[in-house]
Amino acid sequence: MSVRIAGMGWITPLGRGVDYVWNRLLRGDEASAQTISRNEGARAYQGFLVPNEALNNLPPHPRLRRASAISRFAAAAGLDAMAQAKAMDPKIEMERLALVFAVSNGGVAYTKRFYHDIVESGAQSASPLLFPETVFNAPASHLAAILGVNGASYTIVGDGAVGILGMKMASDLLEMGAANHCLVVAAEEADWLLCDAYHRWRLIKSSPPIELFSNHPRGTILSEGAGAVLLGREGSVKMDSINAGGNFSQRRNSTGVVNRILQDLRDQTAFVVASANGTFVDLAERDAIRKQIPNSIVYSPKAALGESVGASALWQVIIAARALAGKQLPPMRHVAGNAGLRFPAGTNGIGLSAIVSSCGLNQQAAGLRLSI
Amino acid sequence: MSTFNALHITNTKPRIAIVAAGVVSPLGFGLKETLHSLRSATDCVSTVSRFDVSHCRCKTAAQVPDQRLLVYRQKGRKNARLHRASHIMIAALAELLERDQEFKPEVTVIGTTSGGMSFGEDYYRALHRHEDLGRSAQWIANYPPQKPVLDAQNAFGISAPCFVIANACASGTNAIGYAFECIQSGKYERVLTGGYDALSELVFVGFDSLQAATPEKCRPFDRDRTGMVIGEGAALLALENLESARKRNATILGEIIGYGISTDNHHLTQPDPSGSGPRRAMEQALRSAGCAPERVDYINAHGTATPFNDAAEGKAISELFGRVPVSSTKSMIGHSLGAAGAIEAVICLLALQSQFLPPNINFRAPDPDLDLNVVANESRDAKIDIALSNSFGFGGTNASVLIRKAAA
Repeated sequence: MSVRIAGMGWITPLGRGVDYVWNRLLRGDEASAQTISRNEGARAYQGFLVPNEALNNLPPHPRLRRASAISRFAAAAGLDAMAQAKAMDPKIEMERLALVFAVSNGGVAYTKRFYHDIVESGAQSASPLLFPETVFNAPASHLAAILGVNGASYTIVGDGAVGILGMKMASDLLEMGAANHCLVVAAEEADWLLCDAYHRWRLIKSSPPIELFSNHPRGTILSEGAGAVLLGREGSVKMDSINAGGNFSQRRNSTGVVNRILQDLRDQTAFVVASANGTFVDLAERDAIRKQIPNSIVYSPKAALGESVGASALWQVIIAARALAGKQLPPMRHVAGNAGLRFPAGTNGIGLSAIVSSCGLNQQAAGLRLSI
Repeated sequence: MSTFNALHITNTKPRIAIVAAGVVSPLGFGLKETLHSLRSATDCVSTVSRFDVSHCRCKTAAQVPDQRLLVYRQKGRKNARLHRASHIMIAALAELLERDQEFKPEVTVIGTTSGGMSFGEDYYRALHRHEDLGRSAQWIANYPPQKPVLDAQNAFGISAPCFVIANACASGTNAIGYAFECIQSGKYERVLTGGYDALSELVFVGFDSLQAATPEKCRPFDRDRTGMVIGEGAALLALENLESARKRNATILGEIIGYGISTDNHHLTQPDPSGSGPRRAMEQALRSAGCAPERVDYINAHGTATPFNDAAEGKAISELFGRVPVSSTKSMIGHSLGAAGAIEAVICLLALQSQFLPPNINFRAPDPDLDLNVVANESRDAKIDIALSNSFGFGGTNASVLIRKAAA
């Protein structure tokens, strides 16, 4: 049984809509960084945020009244993916639709507010309205309620590779016959606390640009948004193979894990949509690509869109699918001149298959290959 | 009792064996201690000692004793930096691998709700109070939910890909169910599965703020139930294609024979009072096993002891199963959230192996609205072949697994 992409939805700092964001990327647009502040005296960070107007036409729903930004992003992307798929096939059976929700940091803003009240004023100040929104599966629950999904719904948590694991789980659910369609949604919201945490973890830099594949990675910039991919049995882009990857207990071992994944997925005619983000990930992917598929065209969207952590791998999948359909990749900016990799130049090297490589920031890596 | 036309379904899919297990909970470390505590109806609930609960309605929880975890913490500098949840997971995996040293998972599927949450709390508190943030990188790196799973795998040289399911309080059962489906589909032969959670202030206060946690005893299905107590722990199951397990002469502890999952869109935190969500999960588990409800001998209920949850679950159970013996072992060990389904699956396994019904302690008076056969206060010897374990959670996630005694 072949698993195919039946619909996609996308909301990013460059806006909402697969075609809209894609065209902006093709034009070479990059998201504008905004200052994310906590309070006076605290360090401010730069992040790529979803513009408010991107959510303007999100249909009202009681579940979204108090929901966090991550839930709204997920709803926007999920509804768009379903709408795109239903335009091609109006007979999608909702009772045979499964939902897989991939996330890394979850509802950080509400979690921070909830815990802040406890630290500031004591447990008696904790809000019973906020607490349920802090739970990892709250966005999936809202989306299930909006879409009317009453069967299987799984929220999976991991680092940046979690989107690929979500695609793997969804493909397995389809192949097991547990569902006819599976909507994979990955979302993340940016917040000062997250920026501060990643800063203390020495993973982010103070301001753009994100410099990719440098010998001396200087850090990344966090972003937010969501991606949604509806998997089914119809659609022009096919899932060839997914490697759920492995784990690296130390960063220096990440190259080996990525190398094994690419070795498994390699196709000398494929282009690569990489997860390089200005951190150690760049070195791991660079070395593995040079070794396994040295002639492949390599594109990473993170200079333009930022590091959306839990949402990032699904964004890469959307880019790979769109590039396969349009036989074109966006231009790469802020790339180290001595990376020793081939980067996009027009339609050259855009074949019939694409490898998505995802190396996360916290020990997980995975990949998949799509074809048309 | 519902009529269920599934007595003679022939299930030709691969059978899934439980070849090893490991458990750490307030009942004890390991299967042996757990069995003893279950048999003697131990109430593991005590006053919370890890953080200040003076402003909470509920001041108790079922806790894993820290001194028992010291041995895992003291194994090298790296282990000392890990979260307590990692030590709990390492202890559970150590027992599992001791029981089956040949078990090599192709994939790992684990449920949790909050990972290393208390490290996130440490970081936020220090930030807010302008205290020393020298350990912040350690807190942040070890806070994510996948980390204790990876730490446990690393401790024993396992590098299987990890799927960490965070379906709130159903996570552990969802993990076991998904692992079951992975093997049943023929895509995998061996899957490590289970769940974990460690007590955290944020989660404890959260349930307290919802008034879901009780200031009294936890009395599932009792007329006067007032809510849950929080627990913690981890349980792991080694699942394997039965044929493959038999070929290598692995010990078969039991079988997972069915799994059901449903989503109830009624409310983010409240179940549909009709019990339709839990009922659909239980029915699906029966269908996937090809098993009639009459063949189920024991139900380990989700049974949080909150008025609404027990009412919805109790209604679904009595409609579907009649008066099959039911207990909620959360009365003894509290609600260990993402670990609950896994720990309760292990409890079902022990009940099946030792042929007894685990007790629902603190039970005083039946709820007149629930026609249930509650295993009140003491364990009972019984002949049981099939047990059902339920887990339901925030977000309307419902999951049920059916477990069968190993063939003699």
